[in-house]
Amino acid sequence: MMKHEYTKVHFRRRRALVGEGKACSGCQTCAVVCSLVHEGEVDLMRARLTIKSNSFAGSFIPQVCHQCADAPCYYACPEGAMEIEAVNGTVLILEEKCTGCGACARACPFRAIRLDEEKKKAWKCDFCGGDPQCFAWCPANALGVVEFGGEIPK
Amino acid sequence: MNTDYGWAGKILRVDLTERRYWTEPTAKYAERFIGGIGIGYKVFWDEVGAEVGAFDAENRLVFAPGPLTGTLAPASGRMELVSKSPRSYPKETVTRSGMGGFWGPELKYAGYDALIVQGKSESWVNLYIHNDGVEFREAKDYVGQDTYTTQINVRKELDPKARIVCIGPAGERLSRLAVILSETSFASGRSGFGAVMGSKKLKAVAVRGTKPLKIYDPKRLIEVSRRVRALSAGNPMREWTSRALTPSDQDSFLNKYRRKNVGCFGCPMQCFAHLNVPGAGQSAAHCTNYFYYHPATQFYGHTAERDQAVMDGLVQSNRLGLDTYEFSRMLDFLKDLYQAGLWESHPPLLMEKLGSREFINRLIESVAYRQGIGDLLAEGVARTADQIKDGWEFCAKYFPAYGSASHGVMRTHPGVALLWALDSRDPIIDQHAYLKLAVSHPGDPPPYGLPLDRAKLISRKLFGSEMAIDHSNFTHKAEMTVYAQNKAAVINLLVVCDWIYPIFSSHGTEDRLGDTSLESRLLTAVSGYDLTEKELDRIGERVWNLARALMVREGRTREQDTFHESYFREHGGEKAIPLTDFEEAKTRYYQLRGWDEKTGWPTRQKLQELGLL
Repeated sequence: MMKHEYTKVHFRRRRALVGEGKACSGCQTCAVVCSLVHEGEVDLMRARLTIKSNSFAGSFIPQVCHQCADAPCYYACPEGAMEIEAVNGTVLILEEKCTGCGACARACPFRAIRLDEEKKKAWKCDFCGGDPQCFAWCPANALGVVEFGGEIPK
Repeated sequence: MNTDYGWAGKILRVDLTERRYWTEPTAKYAERFIGGIGIGYKVFWDEVGAEVGAFDAENRLVFAPGPLTGTLAPASGRMELVSKSPRSYPKETVTRSGMGGFWGPELKYAGYDALIVQGKSESWVNLYIHNDGVEFREAKDYVGQDTYTTQINVRKELDPKARIVCIGPAGERLSRLAVILSETSFASGRSGFGAVMGSKKLKAVAVRGTKPLKIYDPKRLIEVSRRVRALSAGNPMREWTSRALTPSDQDSFLNKYRRKNVGCFGCPMQCFAHLNVPGAGQSAAHCTNYFYYHPATQFYGHTAERDQAVMDGLVQSNRLGLDTYEFSRMLDFLKDLYQAGLWESHPPLLMEKLGSREFINRLIESVAYRQGIGDLLAEGVARTADQIKDGWEFCAKYFPAYGSASHGVMRTHPGVALLWALDSRDPIIDQHAYLKLAVSHPGDPPPYGLPLDRAKLISRKLFGSEMAIDHSNFTHKAEMTVYAQNKAAVINLLVVCDWIYPIFSSHGTEDRLGDTSLESRLLTAVSGYDLTEKELDRIGERVWNLARALMVREGRTREQDTFHESYFREHGGEKAIPLTDFEEAKTRYYQLRGWDEKTGWPTRQKLQELGLL
């Protein structure tokens, strides 16, 4: 790997979602709005984020894509089907190149990438192009957006 | 009728006697009855006669979400249950009982708009619905387990992500106080439907749904939902429950033990508080259900044991599957009897220990397992009062009509009185919007109070006169009642929560005006069923007439649209309801409804006009 690419991925400027389990009430609004925006229907299986729920302990933990600094999914992809978008530093899957091999999903430490077994495509959070709707709709303030101010070297 | 959008399209029917299941198209009901109580009442009208009792095999138990359930529409996590209620008094009659949580949406994702359970199983059975698959699973091992343990074990056995409704030991023993419970604290409680499940030997229904739900116009849904969120911001109902009805003591309890706010699927309110009291367990809770034992425990002072006693009242009732609301009034009733010297200490209930941790645990256990005097109390307070000499002298105060525990202020608020008298169960559960408008006094501290001029303006706009929220008399209360009942029917068809809808007034905007057309706009965006607000209200009216027709078939007449006679005289320092005014308002109500004013029955003409005949 070229040094140039390493710095481009690791020290990029990026914005990412964070989930706060202390505040999350497990209501699923985030997952509903996510699937509605991306798929045009309500399908919690296709939402880009999930909530790990245990109501008996009052424990609800949003599982979101962190757009990791070291982006293990990006490096895991054998097809070159992932790219890092410049403005928000979002890690994206290029659908036309994706073969659905699942390498990215296995590399993800947060289980934030899912696979469509039939269509042979993987999908993940695309940060809604900079305006994440889950964050906008969360009624419990359990989702946040953090910014890292790295620069993209020329 | 196109049910491709919003509706899942099918209704699941399960016959427990024959252990078979089949589906029916929702289209049969969708156009005229939408969903929720609409489907429930229609099923009962078509299939279950007046002679059928709550525990008969012919009785059905309908779990009905609606077209908005499980969508982005705010507060769409609820479903409505309809069945013959074991709690109704003196006769077991058809009524509804809602339930929040996640089970309703999960049923929609599994591909069903409703689940209708009929028949009676020979042995204990669990139902497992996973998309198109439906399994009857032996539940022998689950018998006797409390609701929390049952859910944890069913998840272990079937699917860790399944959503479950189940009954506890109380439901198994056909206690009329039994609830159907999901998660820690979502319950269909006030109508005793847990006992109906128990009579069918159905211990739990687990659902796992992974299907998509099609939305007709996603952009529009997002737009309208955003508007609902804006108007319902600052809604005082959340404060009412997750903070306190009366501050001070309750506040300190909540501040100490609340871990977070939780709630139902897709709801911006999240009105439950998740409480964790060391030594007494944890549970989500709201409104009266976490606090009913608090007043009795004063002698403890500020000790941890008091908090544990209060929490036991909640957790143990939930675990054994009993209705906390009934307990709140039962404690008052028992205390009054005891103080009058009429209630000896029946084993295992020692009244001199009222307020202690031991007492509440014994009370809950004895009622759930029907031990000693608990066997009688498990029949509900109204039926207990029948068995005690002068029982109703003490009971009436807390149980004004049809065996429902008092809720709201019927003696001082004529509007509330009329709503109560003309329903088949405690109606306030659907009428929080009216309460917010009328019962929140202008003098109340914000955010409860609505400025009087605003309240009057809204009342004029909605009910046709500002007298509708004037509590000094019965003027214009009939008009208000008709309007509010139709609206209540509408929200129970869709099904959305009455803590937000209908939005009569808003705390989130400058002018404080609400918007009552949002329900119809949500329905149109979700399902493509293009209805104006008026047309949807008309469907609400149709369902309310159907509900009334069911009540009439079971013997309801004008004479029974009333309270216990003590409500019409001063009683224990409380105001009397003026009988003549009350009867006049009823006459006016029947006229407005197009019903016969002598009998209170819907007329043939009215039913034809609504397409019910």
